[in-house]
Amino acid sequence: MNSGTAWPEGYGRRILESVDSTLDEATRIGPGLGAPEWILARVQTKGRGRRGRAWVEPAGNFAATLVMFPEGNPGQIALRSFVASLAVLEACIGMAGRSEGFALKWPNDVLLNGGKLAGILLESTAGVLSVGIGVNLMAAPPVEQVEARALRPVSLLSEIGIAVEPEEFLTFVAAAFARYETQFNSLGFEPIRTAWLSHAARLGQVITARTGNTETTGTFQTVDATGNLVLLNGQTRVAIPAADVFF
Amino acid sequence: MTESKRDADVAFIKALAEMLRDNDLTEVQVKRDYGEDGKLNVRVSRAAPPVTVAAPVAMAAPAVAAPAPVAPGVPAPETTDDPASHPGAVTSPMVGTVYLQAEPESPKFITVGAQINEGDTLLIVEAMKTMNHIHAPKTGVIKRILVEDGAAVEFGTPLVIIG
Repeated sequence: MNSGTAWPEGYGRRILESVDSTLDEATRIGPGLGAPEWILARVQTKGRGRRGRAWVEPAGNFAATLVMFPEGNPGQIALRSFVASLAVLEACIGMAGRSEGFALKWPNDVLLNGGKLAGILLESTAGVLSVGIGVNLMAAPPVEQVEARALRPVSLLSEIGIAVEPEEFLTFVAAAFARYETQFNSLGFEPIRTAWLSHAARLGQVITARTGNTETTGTFQTVDATGNLVLLNGQTRVAIPAADVFF
Repeated sequence: MTESKRDADVAFIKALAEMLRDNDLTEVQVKRDYGEDGKLNVRVSRAAPPVTVAAPVAMAAPAVAAPAPVAPGVPAPETTDDPASHPGAVTSPMVGTVYLQAEPESPKFITVGAQINEGDTLLIVEAMKTMNHIHAPKTGVIKRILVEDGAAVEFGTPLVIIG
């Protein structure tokens, strides 16, 4: 293990054999923790996605939640969405030994060869932020188990033929997260935003954002200084804080 | 519909019109449930007609003149029943989308008339896949829920009134 992948100072590390969901475990133990801590589960029996969608997790995949206690207003806390996606992307690229084929989809999906490789869901409650991360290391869930319009699920193994152990991946993602978090705290969102945009999928192309029953289709212009997805719909610039994005 | 409530509705619609302009939106629709006091369903659109109000309560819908979408400013509404200034109002700490339950199939966190304790989750505001639990700042009873599930909210939008 080289110095770039040493376990980050100041972060705890907890490995569970099996749990319902690392996010749920974070909710249970988070308030009692005194410092940030990663919770990794070898088996997750009830993984959660956004708004009640199940996160199907075949054996050998990565399921972990970082519990942390960030300061700042809720809008700033939510920007950890981008910090986390950059950390996961960097860990994936580190494992793959190449950046070709990897991209980010707003706000925090990690894509590989156009398919969904990783999903991130954050929960903020009473000063505790839980950053839940799922990465298809060994196997992608069956395509019929994801939403009809969603991207096809892919795995690192299926796309580039490398087998990565979850605990090895955890060290990479924890180290990358700690580095981006330090950068965020000292320099603010701008460097994170710039880095994120440099990996953005479909920038300058027409995409669709769905919030509730409302859909907005437009040219993906940028991510603004508060993290909003900015679409240009005709002459109208629309800044969207929460949505599912479809290509 | 009382005069003060009508004023509150007018203020609310003006706030929506402002939000529409400030965010370059073309349309916003809000449904509000006042418990036993009735319901209000407002759609504000930049296309003609600029404001449509449908109030499925006994009284006629208040006639409201919409501010022109390009107007530089909207006069501050003069009202004593603005939900945002209500002492029991809980406002949104961020821009995002409101969810009234943890997951679509879960029961709502709160209902009008329910007793709640300080620290209880009232609802969730999502931005950028971060689910922010909004907690009750005090113990009391839910008097009003001012937002509907899935509604877009701004910083400072009144969400709930606790009495």
